[in-house]
Amino acid sequence: MRVSLNWLEELLSEGALADIPIEELTERLDMTGTGVEAVEKTGQTPEGIYIGQIKSKEPHPDSDHLWLTRVDVGEAGGEYADEDGLLQIVCGAQNFEEGDRVPVAMVGTVFPNATDDGKDFTIKKSKIRGIESFGMNCSMRELGLGDDHQGIMVLDQDAPIGVPFSDWYKAGDTVLDLEITPNRPDCLSMVGMAREFGAVFDVEPKRELEPVIELVEGDENIDDIATVVVEDPALCPRYTARVIKGVTVGPSPQWLADRVTAAGTRSVNNVVDITNFIMYELGQPLHAFDLGRLAKDGDRRAKIIVRRAHDGEQMTTLDQLDRKLGSENLLICDLEGPVALAGVMGGLTSEVEDYNIDILLEEAKFDPANVSRTSRALQLISESSLRFERGVDIDNVITALDRAAALIAQVGGGQVVAGAIDVMAAPIEKLTLPLRHELMTRIIGEDISLDTAKTYLEKLGCVVESGNDELNVTVPTYRPDLEREIDLVEEVLRLWGMENVEATLPGGRERLGGLTRTQQLRGVLDKTLRSLGLSETMTLPFSDDADLAKLSFEPDEGHQLVMLHNPMSSEQAILRPLLLPGLLNSVSLNKRRGVSDIHLFERGKAFLTKKGRKLPKEPERIAAVLSGLWNRAGWNVSSEPIDFFDAKGIITSLMDELNIDRLRMVEPQKDSLPWLQPGKAAVLMLGNAPIGWLGEIHPRVAQQFEIDDPVVAFEFDVGKTFKAAKADRDFTTPPRYPGIEMDIALVIDEDVAHSDIERRIRALGKKSALTDVDLFDIYRGKGVPQGKKSMAYRLGYRSENRTLTTEEVERIHEKVLEKLKKELGAELRS
Amino acid sequence: MSVLESLDSTTIEASIAAHLDKAGITDKKVIDDITAVMVPFIRQAQEVQATLKGLTSLAELDALRVETLGKKSPFIAFMRTLGSLDAEIRPVVGAQANEVRQALEGWIENRKAELTNAELDKRIGEEKLDITLPGRARPIGSKHLISQIEDEIVEVFIGLGYQVAEGPEVELSFFNFDALNHSPQHPTRSVSDTFYVHDMSGEEFEGPEPSDVLMRTHTSPVQVRAMQERELPIYILAPGKTYRRDVADPTHLPQFTQIEGLVVDKGITFADLKGTLDYFVKAIFGPERRTRFRPHFFPFTEPSAEVDISCGICDGSGKIDGVTCRFCSGVGWVEILGCGMVDPNVFRAVDIDPEVYAGFAFGMGVERIALLRYDIPDIRMLIEGDMRFLRQF
Repeated sequence: MRVSLNWLEELLSEGALADIPIEELTERLDMTGTGVEAVEKTGQTPEGIYIGQIKSKEPHPDSDHLWLTRVDVGEAGGEYADEDGLLQIVCGAQNFEEGDRVPVAMVGTVFPNATDDGKDFTIKKSKIRGIESFGMNCSMRELGLGDDHQGIMVLDQDAPIGVPFSDWYKAGDTVLDLEITPNRPDCLSMVGMAREFGAVFDVEPKRELEPVIELVEGDENIDDIATVVVEDPALCPRYTARVIKGVTVGPSPQWLADRVTAAGTRSVNNVVDITNFIMYELGQPLHAFDLGRLAKDGDRRAKIIVRRAHDGEQMTTLDQLDRKLGSENLLICDLEGPVALAGVMGGLTSEVEDYNIDILLEEAKFDPANVSRTSRALQLISESSLRFERGVDIDNVITALDRAAALIAQVGGGQVVAGAIDVMAAPIEKLTLPLRHELMTRIIGEDISLDTAKTYLEKLGCVVESGNDELNVTVPTYRPDLEREIDLVEEVLRLWGMENVEATLPGGRERLGGLTRTQQLRGVLDKTLRSLGLSETMTLPFSDDADLAKLSFEPDEGHQLVMLHNPMSSEQAILRPLLLPGLLNSVSLNKRRGVSDIHLFERGKAFLTKKGRKLPKEPERIAAVLSGLWNRAGWNVSSEPIDFFDAKGIITSLMDELNIDRLRMVEPQKDSLPWLQPGKAAVLMLGNAPIGWLGEIHPRVAQQFEIDDPVVAFEFDVGKTFKAAKADRDFTTPPRYPGIEMDIALVIDEDVAHSDIERRIRALGKKSALTDVDLFDIYRGKGVPQGKKSMAYRLGYRSENRTLTTEEVERIHEKVLEKLKKELGAELRS
Repeated sequence: MSVLESLDSTTIEASIAAHLDKAGITDKKVIDDITAVMVPFIRQAQEVQATLKGLTSLAELDALRVETLGKKSPFIAFMRTLGSLDAEIRPVVGAQANEVRQALEGWIENRKAELTNAELDKRIGEEKLDITLPGRARPIGSKHLISQIEDEIVEVFIGLGYQVAEGPEVELSFFNFDALNHSPQHPTRSVSDTFYVHDMSGEEFEGPEPSDVLMRTHTSPVQVRAMQERELPIYILAPGKTYRRDVADPTHLPQFTQIEGLVVDKGITFADLKGTLDYFVKAIFGPERRTRFRPHFFPFTEPSAEVDISCGICDGSGKIDGVTCRFCSGVGWVEILGCGMVDPNVFRAVDIDPEVYAGFAFGMGVERIALLRYDIPDIRMLIEGDMRFLRQF
């Protein structure tokens, strides 16, 4: 809402705001709930502009579009005036006549930042096509008063010649751009703002509105000219109309144009400007119909019907668009069909465009929710629809109508027909609310007296009666937000000042802060991954068919993808069923930007649903992608490309840190993880339940994400994992006696897995002093037959209660070898 | 005086004689016999002592030790012969020999310590590093900026006795809007503002929106669920991802992280809300920061306020060296969160008696705080996963 302080001051007692510096003004507004978004100084015309009168206007001898004018500027012309005391000025404008009064810039006037490249522009004595020119006749735009630069600014005939323009034209104004919260429709009007300023700055609003105008009615009665039927009173609780006959549509007088310009609207014509003026002044949008273009009944009466649209009904709105409507849209119709979309936009057929017309002026209250829905659905949000949507004051409808009619008659000529149509379904009821001192204190935490509260509420327009430890507050109809006692508490608090409330902390009653075990474990999970070198990232949860198709992802049996009704784009229509696609897109982005070493993880929700489910399942998952190197090779650091076993090691460390000892990684069933390269993939199992997967992204999948390098990834369910995390760790006393390590190198068939060997070794270890099994080398090549490999293990032997002898260790070691020979056909590598 | 300190054979002899005299041995022949045995032996020990001084390495020392005291050395051979000596002189010679042996061992040990030290000093000298060479760093990953800020804030409120509450990201309209006093026609419900999700339950939904299942637009539904499920009093923080239909641009994302707080207890006042948020701002942004509460409007709180913190760049003055502060546009304040006293309608929707209990709620956007703190030009950097961006935090 743009609020001109000039205008506002006319609505307040004289000089009410004069002593308040603008900084203080805006601060106080901010602190009472009216956010000041911008402060704009307008109409600061430069010095050296005087009011002049065009005494003569002749064509320039050497131009077909320039004029040679002689202008009377009183004494202001000084040395440049000719013998008649007039200034000779060459002028390019076409919109003026001899005798017109115009603003004239004298030689030496400086227009700051006036050129296209932002430099000052100074008026100089000049020769234009051979003719001397001693000044400039100014347009509105040149004076910074508006956008109009089609011609020079033609002033009212009573403008005093020779007087500094700024003394006469009180243009210097400050316009505040205010943020009005949606609960305050009253603040969308100057009168409402004046009331608000009155309460905030403790000044009195004026009783009479400027311009003061009396409604003069003619003889003809409106009932003979028009009738109104409201078919849906719920959507239109009040509809009023007046008729003004013989209105001359034309340019607005300056005061009117100034007002609507200050409010942020272009001046269109006197009729439109008056409706806008009333909207800004009183917060009541009006609509003017060309009465002549409304269909008439047999008695030559226009009949206005307010009804819901039929499904599929069409109308052409003022913006020349054909609108297809339904029963949720409220229409203003004449006998032939729709003439306006109620509260939203007029129809093209009844537009005011002729010069001399009869006007049917509509002023109504429409259901806010309905206007909101219609305007948003049709994307026709306007100053007018905004006010209907927030709620106009039903009580003030007729006042606004009368004032608008009188003003139209004043600025456009014509006669207001006697009487007004006023269709109202139910009488206006005002709400009376209690305000208990006890509640005020209980909510605010400060003792504000009821007398103070009464003063504030009265300033806001409430009628207040004092009771026993409470007030009885009758709320004005322009404050639909004051519905409950608590709403009154807020009004008192905001005017008393939130800054005056002394801050306290809630007392220390029984409560304990802290994280749940799951929340703590998340911390462990994230921290462990970071300490293992992975960086946390965050991606959007949206996915699309294309990304999932790249992965050949299919939801598990019985599950379905979660789909959005209204995605931002078709690429974001699905809620991700797994985190991987987002991370692969991040890998791709890094690679495209030349970053080849990638270690990312994300923890977040995935989404899946099932037929019959209202809300989807939201399993929390953790996923990681690794590509490139862990670190660049250094002078003392070697560097290997990241592979499957890096990711596997990370999972092992994670499980260790989470105190989970029963995770297994097993080969996936064929085609069950199509985004992983076969043979480099594993399913993570807790007991018999799969919780996720690990592996190298299938090269063909990677290519589709524009990734050429190998990417290793894993993803698993966080909740299931945490369930397996044991809270306690078993303690065993560390052995005091040193152990013995012995190596064993086996030559064994290629297809024997490490786990086959390890399991057999450990089986022996259970009863003996064999405690550790570590694979430390795998070798293929010279000295090892084709189809075989050499696996070298370091076995650790230790006793809890004594130092082992070499002999007894060798005996166990022999047994290990025998078992492996017998069961796996292993040979000792020589 | 030890015989070993004697310098020549005469004095050695005299020394031996003195020893023998002390032992009560006076027989000249015996004395001569002993002297004959001992003198060369002592000489030899003295030679070893002299040699030791000239040794420069532990290896040489070890060789000398073996040569002198090793199993095959003459000295040990001599020691072995002691048994065959006359019983009369055996104790004296034995004692003397032992004395010599201990002395030798002592000299060798001392010399060994000297040489060890010298060799260590030498090695230390040789091992001097170019300490400007890079170390063997283990790369450690970074916490996402949003998580960092979220964790910091959670920590502050845990200290104030809060617990962390969670809820689903796909929610019912009831929890996201209805129970929070949003009117049925509230604009944020529209399909242009809120993501709606296909409802698979088969239920019919009547209304202008396509469904009553949506992506939560704030974490407030967590508050509603908490009020329904938890026992009073409630002190919770609800951090989490939320979604709004904003086109991604430098200051908007369709996803953002919100942290909301809710307190429901007896005797909670607006003053408590002020105190709590004041404490929070000082804890997170620094003790010098001030807060200001501006009245505002939210459907779920009444009274409601927006909270600004004093600009950290210009310290709230709006100017830096007389020039308008670019960070706060000269206002001196930066908006940081919204808050208010829980609206009685919200309490009624969850069966809490507003005449008995009161409460406050507040909410803030973590991304906004991140952008403010680091002056990040484009919010989209937060979700790209660029390693170079992430590793800075």
